[in-house]
Amino acid sequence: MKPINIHISSIVLVTASLAFIGFLYLSQPKTLAEVSTKSSVAIGTYATDKAEFDRGLELFRKDDLIGARTAFERADPERRDANTQFYIAYSYYRQGWGRVSSDDTLFKPGLDAVERVIALDPTYRSSDASLTMRTPSELKNELEEGLKITPSDLDPLKLFRERK
Amino acid sequence: MSRTQYDIETTDDGLIEVLTDRSAIVDSEAGAISSQLVSTDGLTTTYLLLPAIFLIVTLFGGLRFSSLDNSFIFMPPPLVCLLLAAAATIQFVRAGLIGLTGWFDGRSGGIRNVANTLILLTVFTATTQAYNSLLPESGLAMWVIGFCLVWSAWTGLFSDADAKKLLKSTGAVFALAFVVKYLILANLTAPEGGSWLQRMIHDPGKEAITWLIDLPRYSALTGYVQFAALAAYLLGLFLTPSKPTMRQ
Repeated sequence: MKPINIHISSIVLVTASLAFIGFLYLSQPKTLAEVSTKSSVAIGTYATDKAEFDRGLELFRKDDLIGARTAFERADPERRDANTQFYIAYSYYRQGWGRVSSDDTLFKPGLDAVERVIALDPTYRSSDASLTMRTPSELKNELEEGLKITPSDLDPLKLFRERK
Repeated sequence: MSRTQYDIETTDDGLIEVLTDRSAIVDSEAGAISSQLVSTDGLTTTYLLLPAIFLIVTLFGGLRFSSLDNSFIFMPPPLVCLLLAAAATIQFVRAGLIGLTGWFDGRSGGIRNVANTLILLTVFTATTQAYNSLLPESGLAMWVIGFCLVWSAWTGLFSDADAKKLLKSTGAVFALAFVVKYLILANLTAPEGGSWLQRMIHDPGKEAITWLIDLPRYSALTGYVQFAALAAYLLGLFLTPSKPTMRQ
Protein backbone atom coordinates (compact mmCIF):
# COMPACT_ATOMS: atom_id res chain seq x y z
CA MET A 1 0.00 0.00 0.00
CA LYS A 2 1.29 3.45 -0.88
CA PRO A 3 2.11 5.75 2.08
CA ILE A 4 -0.36 8.35 0.81
CA ASN A 5 -3.14 5.75 0.88
CA ILE A 6 -2.22 4.78 4.45
CA HIS A 7 -2.35 8.44 5.48
CA ILE A 8 -5.74 8.93 3.84
CA SER A 9 -7.06 5.71 5.41
CA SER A 10 -5.87 6.95 8.79
CA ILE A 11 -7.63 10.30 8.33
CA VAL A 12 -10.87 8.58 7.32
CA LEU A 13 -10.64 6.08 10.21
CA VAL A 14 -10.03 8.71 12.87
CA THR A 15 -12.57 11.24 11.57
CA ALA A 16 -15.37 8.69 11.13
CA SER A 17 -14.67 6.99 14.45
CA LEU A 18 -14.50 10.23 16.43
CA ALA A 19 -17.79 11.33 14.85
CA PHE A 20 -19.39 8.00 15.78
CA ILE A 21 -18.05 8.15 19.36
CA GLY A 22 -19.29 11.73 19.72
CA PHE A 23 -22.68 10.65 18.43
CA LEU A 24 -22.85 7.79 20.98
CA TYR A 25 -21.98 10.07 23.89
CA LEU A 26 -24.52 12.67 22.76
CA SER A 27 -27.39 10.29 21.98
CA GLN A 28 -26.79 7.98 24.99
CA PRO A 29 -28.17 4.70 23.63
CA LYS A 30 -28.84 2.06 26.28
CA THR A 31 -28.66 -1.06 24.13
CA LEU A 32 -27.16 -2.16 20.82
CA ALA A 33 -30.65 -2.01 19.29
CA GLU A 34 -30.89 1.63 20.33
CA VAL A 35 -27.51 2.32 18.72
CA SER A 36 -29.00 1.06 15.47
CA THR A 37 -32.23 3.10 15.68
CA LYS A 38 -30.46 6.26 16.82
CA SER A 39 -27.96 5.84 13.98
CA SER A 40 -30.80 5.55 11.48
CA VAL A 41 -32.31 8.75 12.91
CA ALA A 42 -28.96 10.52 12.57
CA ILE A 43 -28.48 9.50 8.95
CA GLY A 44 -32.11 10.17 8.08
CA THR A 45 -33.28 6.63 7.30
CA TYR A 46 -35.49 6.22 10.37
CA ALA A 47 -39.01 5.01 9.67
CA THR A 48 -41.77 3.63 11.87
CA ASP A 49 -42.50 -0.08 11.80
CA LYS A 50 -45.71 -0.29 9.75
CA ALA A 51 -46.57 -3.85 10.85
CA GLU A 52 -46.30 -2.93 14.54
CA PHE A 53 -48.32 0.23 13.96
CA ASP A 54 -51.12 -1.73 12.25
CA ARG A 55 -51.11 -4.25 15.08
CA GLY A 56 -51.31 -1.40 17.59
CA LEU A 57 -54.20 0.16 15.69
CA GLU A 58 -56.09 -3.14 15.67
CA LEU A 59 -55.62 -3.54 19.44
CA PHE A 60 -56.55 0.12 20.00
CA ARG A 61 -59.86 -0.42 18.21
CA LYS A 62 -60.49 -3.55 20.29
CA ASP A 63 -59.90 -1.40 23.40
CA ASP A 64 -56.80 -3.40 24.42
CA LEU A 65 -55.09 -0.13 25.27
CA ILE A 66 -52.02 -1.48 27.07
CA GLY A 67 -51.29 -3.89 24.21
CA ALA A 68 -51.91 -1.16 21.66
CA ARG A 69 -49.56 1.22 23.41
CA THR A 70 -46.82 -1.41 23.59
CA ALA A 71 -47.15 -2.02 19.85
CA PHE A 72 -47.15 1.72 19.10
CA GLU A 73 -44.01 2.18 21.21
CA ARG A 74 -42.32 -0.64 19.33
CA ALA A 75 -43.40 0.92 16.05
CA ASP A 76 -41.85 4.28 16.94
CA PRO A 77 -39.09 3.70 19.51
CA GLU A 78 -37.51 7.09 18.86
CA ARG A 79 -40.84 8.94 19.28
CA ARG A 80 -40.49 10.82 16.05
CA ASP A 81 -43.77 10.05 14.31
CA ALA A 82 -46.61 12.42 15.19
CA ASN A 83 -49.34 9.97 14.15
CA THR A 84 -48.03 7.14 16.36
CA GLN A 85 -47.50 9.50 19.27
CA PHE A 86 -51.07 10.77 18.87
CA TYR A 87 -52.41 7.23 19.23
CA ILE A 88 -50.18 6.67 22.27
CA ALA A 89 -51.59 9.84 23.86
CA TYR A 90 -55.12 8.76 22.94
CA SER A 91 -54.57 5.31 24.47
CA TYR A 92 -53.51 6.94 27.75
CA TYR A 93 -56.62 9.13 27.65
CA ARG A 94 -58.98 6.23 27.02
CA GLN A 95 -57.37 4.01 29.65
CA GLY A 96 -57.24 6.75 32.28
CA TRP A 97 -60.70 8.14 31.64
CA GLY A 98 -63.29 7.58 34.38
CA ARG A 99 -66.87 8.65 34.74
CA VAL A 100 -66.25 9.98 38.25
CA SER A 101 -62.55 10.82 38.12
CA SER A 102 -59.65 10.28 35.77
CA ASP A 103 -56.41 8.46 36.55
CA ASP A 104 -53.67 11.08 36.84
CA THR A 105 -50.90 8.48 36.55
CA LEU A 106 -52.13 7.74 33.00
CA PHE A 107 -53.18 11.25 32.04
CA LYS A 108 -49.72 12.71 32.80
CA PRO A 109 -47.81 10.50 30.31
CA GLY A 110 -50.70 11.08 27.91
CA LEU A 111 -50.14 14.81 28.19
CA ASP A 112 -46.40 14.29 27.58
CA ALA A 113 -47.20 12.27 24.45
CA VAL A 114 -49.59 14.92 23.10
CA GLU A 115 -46.94 17.58 23.73
CA ARG A 116 -44.58 15.51 21.60
CA VAL A 117 -47.18 15.42 18.81
CA ILE A 118 -47.45 19.22 18.88
CA ALA A 119 -43.65 19.56 18.87
CA LEU A 120 -43.28 17.12 15.96
CA ASP A 121 -46.10 18.49 13.83
CA PRO A 122 -48.00 21.57 15.07
CA THR A 123 -50.57 21.21 12.26
CA TYR A 124 -51.21 17.52 12.83
CA ARG A 125 -54.77 16.28 12.27
CA SER A 126 -55.70 12.61 12.45
CA SER A 127 -57.44 11.08 9.46
CA ASP A 128 -59.04 8.37 11.61
CA ALA A 129 -62.80 8.94 11.38
CA SER A 130 -63.48 6.66 14.36
CA LEU A 131 -61.83 9.14 16.77
CA THR A 132 -63.95 11.84 18.38
CA MET A 133 -60.94 14.08 19.03
CA ARG A 134 -58.77 14.37 15.93
CA THR A 135 -56.39 17.18 16.78
CA PRO A 136 -53.72 17.26 19.50
CA SER A 137 -55.13 20.48 20.94
CA GLU A 138 -58.53 18.83 21.62
CA LEU A 139 -56.82 15.85 23.23
CA LYS A 140 -54.51 18.10 25.22
CA ASN A 141 -57.44 20.12 26.52
CA GLU A 142 -59.24 16.93 27.61
CA LEU A 143 -56.14 15.58 29.37
CA GLU A 144 -55.47 18.90 31.13
CA GLU A 145 -59.07 19.14 32.28
CA GLY A 146 -58.78 15.62 33.67
CA LEU A 147 -55.72 16.54 35.68
CA LYS A 148 -57.21 19.70 37.19
CA ILE A 149 -59.31 19.72 40.36
CA THR A 150 -62.13 22.24 39.88
CA PRO A 151 -65.63 22.77 41.36
CA SER A 152 -67.05 21.34 38.12
CA ASP A 153 -65.67 17.95 39.21
CA LEU A 154 -68.56 17.83 41.70
CA ASP A 155 -71.16 18.30 38.98
CA PRO A 156 -73.44 15.21 39.13
CA LEU A 157 -74.15 15.55 35.41
CA LYS A 158 -70.59 14.37 34.81
CA LEU A 159 -71.80 10.87 35.59
CA PHE A 160 -73.62 10.87 32.26
CA ARG A 161 -70.71 11.98 30.08
CA GLU A 162 -69.17 9.59 27.58
CA ARG A 163 -65.61 8.70 26.81
CA LYS A 164 -64.42 10.27 23.57
CA MET B 1 28.37 -3.90 1.22
CA SER B 2 26.00 -6.44 2.68
CA ARG B 3 22.78 -7.00 0.83
CA THR B 4 19.43 -8.26 1.98
CA GLN B 5 16.65 -9.58 -0.21
CA TYR B 6 13.31 -7.74 0.18
CA ASP B 7 10.19 -7.16 -1.85
CA ILE B 8 10.67 -3.70 -3.16
CA GLU B 9 8.24 -1.69 -5.25
CA THR B 10 8.86 1.64 -6.89
CA THR B 11 5.83 3.88 -6.69
CA ASP B 12 4.76 6.63 -9.06
CA ASP B 13 5.84 9.40 -6.71
CA GLY B 14 9.41 8.19 -6.50
CA LEU B 15 9.10 6.41 -3.17
CA ILE B 16 10.56 2.98 -2.70
CA GLU B 17 8.43 0.79 -0.49
CA VAL B 18 9.96 -2.05 1.47
CA LEU B 19 7.09 -4.41 1.92
CA THR B 20 8.40 -6.87 4.47
CA ASP B 21 10.89 -5.30 6.81
CA ARG B 22 11.73 -1.79 7.91
CA SER B 23 15.45 -2.44 8.47
CA ALA B 24 16.36 -2.99 4.86
CA ILE B 25 19.85 -2.28 3.64
CA VAL B 26 19.60 -1.24 0.05
CA ASP B 27 22.49 -1.01 -2.37
CA SER B 28 22.46 2.60 -3.42
CA GLU B 29 25.11 2.04 -6.04
CA ALA B 30 22.50 0.44 -8.25
CA GLY B 31 20.68 3.71 -8.82
CA ALA B 32 19.15 6.76 -7.21
CA ILE B 33 17.24 4.85 -4.63
CA SER B 34 18.72 6.46 -1.56
CA SER B 35 16.28 9.38 -1.63
CA GLN B 36 13.35 8.04 0.36
CA LEU B 37 12.71 4.71 1.93
CA VAL B 38 9.46 4.23 3.79
CA SER B 39 8.53 1.08 5.64
CA THR B 40 4.86 0.29 5.11
CA ASP B 41 4.89 -2.07 8.12
CA GLY B 42 5.82 0.82 10.39
CA LEU B 43 3.34 3.09 8.65
CA THR B 44 0.47 0.64 9.11
CA THR B 45 1.22 0.33 12.82
CA THR B 46 1.51 4.07 13.31
CA TYR B 47 -1.31 5.24 11.09
CA LEU B 48 -3.88 2.46 11.44
CA LEU B 49 -3.22 0.25 14.47
CA LEU B 50 -2.27 3.04 16.86
CA PRO B 51 -5.30 5.29 16.23
CA ALA B 52 -7.53 2.21 16.32
CA ILE B 53 -6.25 1.39 19.83
CA PHE B 54 -6.70 4.95 21.04
CA LEU B 55 -10.16 5.17 19.47
CA ILE B 56 -11.20 1.98 21.28
CA VAL B 57 -10.04 3.55 24.55
CA THR B 58 -11.92 6.76 23.68
CA LEU B 59 -15.08 4.75 23.08
CA PHE B 60 -14.94 2.46 26.08
CA GLY B 61 -13.26 4.75 28.63
CA GLY B 62 -16.56 6.43 29.48
CA LEU B 63 -18.74 3.35 29.20
CA ARG B 64 -20.45 2.05 32.33
CA PHE B 65 -23.06 -0.66 32.68
CA SER B 66 -26.19 -0.27 34.78
CA SER B 67 -26.29 -2.55 37.78
CA LEU B 68 -29.99 -3.26 37.14
CA ASP B 69 -30.00 -4.49 33.54
CA ASN B 70 -26.45 -4.02 32.20
CA SER B 71 -27.69 -1.29 29.85
CA PHE B 72 -25.09 1.16 28.51
CA ILE B 73 -24.35 4.40 30.31
CA PHE B 74 -22.03 6.69 28.36
CA MET B 75 -20.37 9.07 30.82
CA PRO B 76 -18.93 12.14 29.10
CA PRO B 77 -15.61 13.20 30.65
CA PRO B 78 -15.78 15.96 33.27
CA LEU B 79 -13.69 19.09 32.73
CA VAL B 80 -11.01 17.96 35.17
CA CYS B 81 -10.27 14.97 32.90
CA LEU B 82 -9.52 17.33 30.02
CA LEU B 83 -7.12 19.28 32.23
CA LEU B 84 -5.44 16.07 33.42
CA ALA B 85 -5.13 14.86 29.81
CA ALA B 86 -3.62 18.20 28.77
CA ALA B 87 -1.07 17.93 31.58
CA ALA B 88 -0.30 14.32 30.61
CA THR B 89 0.17 15.30 26.95
CA ILE B 90 2.62 18.02 27.95
CA GLN B 91 4.51 15.40 29.98
CA PHE B 92 4.57 13.05 26.96
CA VAL B 93 6.13 15.79 24.85
CA ARG B 94 8.62 16.87 27.51
CA ALA B 95 9.72 13.28 28.14
CA GLY B 96 10.21 12.67 24.42
CA LEU B 97 7.46 10.06 24.15
CA ILE B 98 5.99 12.29 21.46
CA GLY B 99 8.55 14.27 19.50
CA LEU B 100 6.63 17.21 18.07
CA THR B 101 9.29 18.03 15.47
CA GLY B 102 8.95 14.49 14.12
CA TRP B 103 5.16 14.57 14.09
CA PHE B 104 4.89 17.99 12.45
CA ASP B 105 7.36 18.33 9.62
CA GLY B 106 7.21 21.25 7.22
CA ARG B 107 8.87 19.18 4.48
CA SER B 108 6.13 16.55 4.61
CA GLY B 109 2.94 16.78 2.63
CA GLY B 110 -0.23 18.29 4.04
CA ILE B 111 -2.04 14.97 4.15
CA ARG B 112 0.66 13.39 6.28
CA ASN B 113 0.58 16.31 8.70
CA VAL B 114 -3.23 16.11 8.92
CA ALA B 115 -3.00 12.37 9.62
CA ASN B 116 -0.36 13.01 12.31
CA THR B 117 -2.50 15.72 13.93
CA LEU B 118 -5.47 13.37 14.05
CA ILE B 119 -3.37 10.60 15.63
CA LEU B 120 -2.18 13.00 18.31
CA LEU B 121 -5.81 14.02 18.80
CA THR B 122 -6.71 10.37 19.45
CA VAL B 123 -3.86 10.20 22.01
CA PHE B 124 -5.43 13.18 23.77
CA THR B 125 -9.01 11.83 23.64
CA ALA B 126 -7.86 8.42 24.86
CA THR B 127 -5.93 10.02 27.73
CA THR B 128 -9.03 12.04 28.65
CA GLN B 129 -11.15 8.90 28.66
CA ALA B 130 -8.53 6.96 30.64
CA TYR B 131 -8.83 9.59 33.38
CA ASN B 132 -12.62 9.50 32.98
CA SER B 133 -12.46 5.77 33.55
CA LEU B 134 -10.38 6.09 36.72
CA LEU B 135 -12.07 9.06 38.35
CA PRO B 136 -15.13 8.14 40.48
CA GLU B 137 -18.24 9.81 39.12
CA SER B 138 -19.43 11.57 42.26
CA GLY B 139 -19.08 12.01 45.99
CA LEU B 140 -16.17 12.10 48.38
CA ALA B 141 -14.21 9.45 46.46
CA MET B 142 -14.21 11.66 43.35
CA TRP B 143 -12.69 14.55 45.30
CA VAL B 144 -10.03 12.41 47.00
CA ILE B 145 -8.93 10.47 43.91
CA GLY B 146 -9.29 13.59 41.73
CA PHE B 147 -6.99 15.48 44.08
CA CYS B 148 -4.42 12.65 43.99
CA LEU B 149 -4.48 12.55 40.17
CA VAL B 150 -4.17 16.34 39.89
CA TRP B 151 -1.30 16.29 42.40
CA SER B 152 0.43 13.55 40.43
CA ALA B 153 -0.05 15.40 37.12
CA TRP B 154 1.12 18.70 38.60
CA THR B 155 4.34 17.27 40.06
CA GLY B 156 4.90 15.32 36.84
CA LEU B 157 4.88 18.55 34.85
CA PHE B 158 8.07 19.69 36.58
CA SER B 159 9.95 16.39 36.63
CA ASP B 160 12.62 15.41 34.12
CA ALA B 161 11.53 11.85 33.45
CA ASP B 162 12.44 10.13 30.20
CA ALA B 163 9.86 8.32 28.07
CA LYS B 164 10.48 4.92 29.68
CA LYS B 165 10.18 6.24 33.24
CA LEU B 166 7.09 8.24 32.32
CA LEU B 167 5.41 5.15 30.89
CA LYS B 168 6.21 3.20 34.06
CA SER B 169 4.94 5.94 36.38
CA THR B 170 1.77 6.42 34.30
CA GLY B 171 1.14 2.68 34.45
CA ALA B 172 1.70 2.66 38.22
CA VAL B 173 -0.65 5.60 38.87
CA PHE B 174 -3.33 4.09 36.64
CA ALA B 175 -3.00 0.66 38.26
CA LEU B 176 -3.37 2.14 41.74
CA ALA B 177 -6.36 4.29 40.75
CA PHE B 178 -7.97 1.27 39.05
CA VAL B 179 -7.58 -0.87 42.19
CA VAL B 180 -9.08 1.86 44.37
CA LYS B 181 -12.07 2.50 42.10
CA TYR B 182 -12.92 -0.91 40.67
CA LEU B 183 -11.83 -3.21 43.49
CA ILE B 184 -12.00 -1.35 46.81
CA LEU B 185 -14.82 1.16 46.20
CA ALA B 186 -16.81 -1.22 43.98
CA ASN B 187 -16.78 -3.80 46.75
CA LEU B 188 -17.98 -1.25 49.26
CA THR B 189 -20.93 -0.30 47.07
CA ALA B 190 -24.30 -1.82 47.88
CA PRO B 191 -26.13 -3.35 44.90
CA GLU B 192 -29.06 -1.50 43.37
CA GLY B 193 -32.62 -2.83 43.37
CA GLY B 194 -35.37 -3.00 45.94
CA SER B 195 -36.36 -0.23 48.29
CA TRP B 196 -33.97 1.72 50.48
CA LEU B 197 -35.32 -0.11 53.55
CA GLN B 198 -34.83 -3.55 51.95
CA ARG B 199 -31.24 -2.69 51.03
CA MET B 200 -30.62 -1.35 54.54
CA ILE B 201 -31.88 -4.57 56.11
CA HIS B 202 -29.96 -6.74 53.65
CA ASP B 203 -26.57 -5.04 54.08
CA PRO B 204 -26.61 -2.01 56.39
CA GLY B 205 -22.82 -1.45 56.29
CA LYS B 206 -22.53 -1.27 52.51
CA GLU B 207 -25.71 0.77 52.16
CA ALA B 208 -24.47 3.27 54.73
CA ILE B 209 -21.04 3.62 53.04
CA THR B 210 -22.67 3.94 49.61
CA TRP B 211 -24.92 6.67 50.92
CA LEU B 212 -22.27 8.46 52.97
CA ILE B 213 -19.64 8.77 50.23
CA ASP B 214 -22.19 8.80 47.40
CA LEU B 215 -20.78 5.86 45.45
CA PRO B 216 -22.23 5.18 41.99
CA ARG B 217 -23.73 1.73 41.48
CA TYR B 218 -22.59 -0.05 38.32
CA SER B 219 -22.56 -3.62 37.10
CA ALA B 220 -19.40 -5.70 37.67
CA LEU B 221 -19.00 -5.79 33.88
CA THR B 222 -17.88 -2.15 34.04
CA GLY B 223 -14.65 -3.11 35.81
CA TYR B 224 -13.75 -5.74 33.19
CA VAL B 225 -14.36 -3.35 30.28
CA GLN B 226 -12.39 -0.58 31.95
CA PHE B 227 -9.51 -2.95 32.69
CA ALA B 228 -9.33 -3.82 28.98
CA ALA B 229 -9.60 -0.14 28.01
CA LEU B 230 -6.77 0.91 30.33
CA ALA B 231 -4.58 -1.99 29.22
CA ALA B 232 -5.19 -0.95 25.60
CA TYR B 233 -4.30 2.64 26.48
CA LEU B 234 -0.96 1.65 28.01
CA LEU B 235 -0.26 -0.62 25.04
CA GLY B 236 -1.03 2.31 22.73
CA LEU B 237 1.40 4.55 24.61
CA PHE B 238 4.04 1.82 24.43
CA LEU B 239 3.56 1.53 20.65
CA THR B 240 3.60 5.29 20.06
CA PRO B 241 6.78 6.19 18.19
CA SER B 242 8.64 9.37 19.00
CA LYS B 243 8.54 10.10 15.26
CA PRO B 244 5.78 8.71 13.08
CA THR B 245 7.73 7.32 10.10
CA MET B 246 11.05 5.66 9.46
CA ARG B 247 13.10 7.52 6.91
CA GLN B 248 16.59 6.67 5.80
